[in-house]
Amino acid sequence: MTESLQETAQISCDILIIGAGPAGMMAAITACENGADVIVLHDKPSPGGQIYRNVDNSPLPDANILGEDYTQGGELVARFNACSARVFSSASVWHVGDNGEALFSYQGTTQRVSALEIIVANGAMERPFPIEGWHLPNVMSAGAAQVMLKSDGIVSDDAVFIGTGPLLYLIVAQYLRLGVKVKALIDTTEKANYLKATQQLPKAFAQLGMMTKGLGLLNEIRASGTPCYRFVKDIQISAAEHAKPEQASQVTFQCANETVTLQADQFFLHQGVIPNLNITRSLGLAHHWNAQQLCWQPTLDNWGASSVPYISVAGDCSAIVGAIGAQNMGKIVALNLLYRLDRLKLEKRDELATRAMQDMQQLNRFRAFIDSLYRPRDIHRMPEKSSVVVCRCEEQNLAQLEQAFGEQASGPNELKLMTRCGMGPCQGRMCGTTVSELLAKWRNTGVANVGYYHLRSPMRLLNLEELAKLETVAPRSAQ
Amino acid sequence: MNAEVIIIGGGIQGCASAYYLAQAGVKVIVLEKDWVSRHASGVNAGGVRSLGRHIAEVPLSIASIEMWQNLSEELSADTGFRRKKLINIAADESDMQTLRARERQMHALGYYHEQILDDKELRQHLPNVAEHCVGGVLSHTDGYAIPYHTTSAYRRAAQALGAVFIEGEAVENIRKVGQDWHIQSQTSDYQARHLVNCAGAWADKIAVMIGDNVPMSYSAPMLMITTRMPHFATPVVGAVSRPLSFKQFENGTVLIGGGAKGFADREHNRTRLDYQKLAVGAQNVAEFFPIMKRASINRMWSGLEAYMPDNLPVIGFSPSSENALHAFGFSAHGFQMGPIVGKIISQLIINRKTSFDLTPFKADRFERKVL
Ligand SMILES: Cc1cc2nc3c(=O)[nH]c(=O)nc-3n(C[C@H](O)[C@H](O)[C@H](O)COP(=O)(O)OP(=O)(O)OC[C@H]3O[C@@H](n4cnc5c(N)ncnc54)[C@H](O)[C@@H]3O)c2cc1C
Ligand SMILES: Cc1cc2nc3c(=O)[nH]c(=O)nc-3n(C[C@H](O)[C@H](O)[C@H](O)COP(=O)(O)OP(=O)(O)OC[C@H]3O[C@@H](n4cnc5c(N)ncnc54)[C@H](O)[C@@H]3O)c2cc1C
Repeated sequence: MTESLQETAQISCDILIIGAGPAGMMAAITACENGADVIVLHDKPSPGGQIYRNVDNSPLPDANILGEDYTQGGELVARFNACSARVFSSASVWHVGDNGEALFSYQGTTQRVSALEIIVANGAMERPFPIEGWHLPNVMSAGAAQVMLKSDGIVSDDAVFIGTGPLLYLIVAQYLRLGVKVKALIDTTEKANYLKATQQLPKAFAQLGMMTKGLGLLNEIRASGTPCYRFVKDIQISAAEHAKPEQASQVTFQCANETVTLQADQFFLHQGVIPNLNITRSLGLAHHWNAQQLCWQPTLDNWGASSVPYISVAGDCSAIVGAIGAQNMGKIVALNLLYRLDRLKLEKRDELATRAMQDMQQLNRFRAFIDSLYRPRDIHRMPEKSSVVVCRCEEQNLAQLEQAFGEQASGPNELKLMTRCGMGPCQGRMCGTTVSELLAKWRNTGVANVGYYHLRSPMRLLNLEELAKLETVAPRSAQ
Repeated sequence: MNAEVIIIGGGIQGCASAYYLAQAGVKVIVLEKDWVSRHASGVNAGGVRSLGRHIAEVPLSIASIEMWQNLSEELSADTGFRRKKLINIAADESDMQTLRARERQMHALGYYHEQILDDKELRQHLPNVAEHCVGGVLSHTDGYAIPYHTTSAYRRAAQALGAVFIEGEAVENIRKVGQDWHIQSQTSDYQARHLVNCAGAWADKIAVMIGDNVPMSYSAPMLMITTRMPHFATPVVGAVSRPLSFKQFENGTVLIGGGAKGFADREHNRTRLDYQKLAVGAQNVAEFFPIMKRASINRMWSGLEAYMPDNLPVIGFSPSSENALHAFGFSAHGFQMGPIVGKIISQLIINRKTSFDLTPFKADRFERKVL
């Protein structure tokens, strides 16, 4: 059901869901099945989230090449489309308040919605990859490559893919299945990780099928004859000398004690995903550092309830749980809210959630395996070379941050005020985690003691005129 | 720990006071409950404005603007100060009348730093101003600075001269025993002959500990900043009778203020924005500068600020206790005053007097003599 504005001048509902990925869709389906009045705000034209993006209207002639996981999403999207939630598509939320209110851009105006309960399900983002040259034109994230493929059917020939993790291998495999030539895969996974991850094996055995998926993709890529460099380190992307405009054209790295240089016009980087914190942080929810996943995450109870009443979090923005985990969590969170809203008895909530809770526990064991196998190298999270750019928006490199640290800017916010690192249009998404980890290293303390940027609304750039159109409703008594 | 002077609050007033005291060889400790420059002094709009000041503040503000001109050299660190002129825009004839009346008053007192602009002159300085605007008033010496850089520059310069800053140290209790102030935090005791209250939005609580009741309130003025835009405004811009205020920095970003207030929760160091009021602010800028309709807002925030009922600060000796001083209640325009306030506090401690008339800033000026 897609909403038109006239009918909804003063919008309110029982449960407001932000994001229509697997977590948000499943939460909406569950809540609607039990009679709750649900609104879903989603910034894309169609539901699906990162994994099932455009699954119901793919631009590709044969979407099967994207893999079984992808096409399976069609069923979930169909159930979501059939549920009774009021769905606002292309509705981008830029503020969520701890008073249960959200503001969002919709058709050139700012709209306000208030809800008894809010589920934040805005998903993950790719982990920053601060290496030499990552900020240059022609360098993009592998996720961006996948977005272009799923949304517009656009691909890049002869690109170099660099990094680690199943999503990296997935996109390379998707390219190859489409017959797109890939120049090389430069795999940064450490050899030692294979050993460490194997120690997680007994626990992960239950999910053997899923476990081998990433490795299966890697085999598929190697079998295609695409050059694969493994256990790579010391990567440096650079522009040809005197090239105007300055853009990346080669990569140099160490592989098996040899220095290799490759030329290309397109580089895709990826080293895993981390929760997208911009909503949960600007809401002021309590967060903690997850040492296994090397990321911040909101502190939640078993039902996804946060430190702020009325705010729950589900899916990859709560911790990386994957698409199936996100669906389970969406269900669990929705069941709890139905209980809080008096639409389900406690016993019924627990009964309906049992299966999803068990599945989550199994998935978590599998996560531990994935997290240790694809753990990004320290040097790829905490650069050591002074010329590496940390904040891309404000072009702050490591040397500049080190200097400010020396001038007593010892926390992320002081550092931001001193250097402008994190003040740019990405709101610190591309440098926040790096800065937390760097400061912890310099101060020789845990990341938890260092903290993160204070974030504020708007969570993304907001057009001034759009803000100006936030309509004022004066109380009748004041007129 | 002992010192001759203990300053409570590591904002610009506390840091500047520490600097001028340390420069005179006085041993000073600054106690800051969070971190230096965490509050108003680090997140304000950076407006360095002498234009349109309340008459009582004019002498201090002029003295301060002179100090700003070479403050970076003085402190051996870039405060980000840029002298860019400041213009308050007149939207109609009634604004122009207000300006002319102000001019007569200022000239009679011997102040000539504010220059009235007609409609043509206004457009020479601000070619993109909306058609309906009829003139304005300009000051040549004003501009902006980077708040966090300025406050940290004072702090580091003071430290280099021996001042001690203790962060994460909240003052919880103050007593006077004999000649000395005993100041207590959760974990430590401090002793000093002199005490200075520079506690910003919390200064009324410190005043009470010292023995002074003050009708201070606090609030959370809000700001928003855009992404980089093509250059269209060199001077800092305000308006005579409208809540409009913005400046375009050299990097192209535009900082929009205007005095709209959000909601303050000072117990938790938190503020909440009032988006409705920010929307009105956005309407205002777009009305005066249509080019701003295309702007993208990147961040919005607010800071905790202390206000007095007459919007004038409290500066000077405590009316009730010997050797205690106040400097607070700057009512959203105290950043520009930082240098001179620091200087005055140091003079009052070292010489027990200053050449400025501080009568309008007395802490007990609101005390009702008759019920
Ligand atoms: C770039 C990228 C590509 C990925 N590709 C795959 C893949 O191919 N296969 C796979 O198994 N996993 C993939 N993942 C991991 C994937 O995110 C999870 O497995 C799963 O999609 C998580 O589901 P979710 O519902 O938590 O979040 P998501 O699926 O990310 O859904 C969140 C949705 O919220 C929307 N949203 C975000 N912010 C706002 C806002 N302010 N207002 C309104 N809507 C908003 C987003 O557009 C998104 O559609 C990818 C992750 C990323 C970051
Ligand atoms: C959004 C905003 C925009 C502004 N714009 C401008 C402008 O453009 N131009 C201008 O001139 N002025 C402006 N101002 C006003 C200006 O920022 C303030 O007047 C000035 O910074 C006040 O300085 P301060 O040192 O008194 O206070 P603060 O900077 O608030 O410092 C007081 C310090 O005292 C500490 N403290 C409080 N209680 C205790 C305790 N018990 N123990 C230890 N420490 C304590 C606090 O933690 C705080 O750090 C603006 C203010 C705001 C909020």
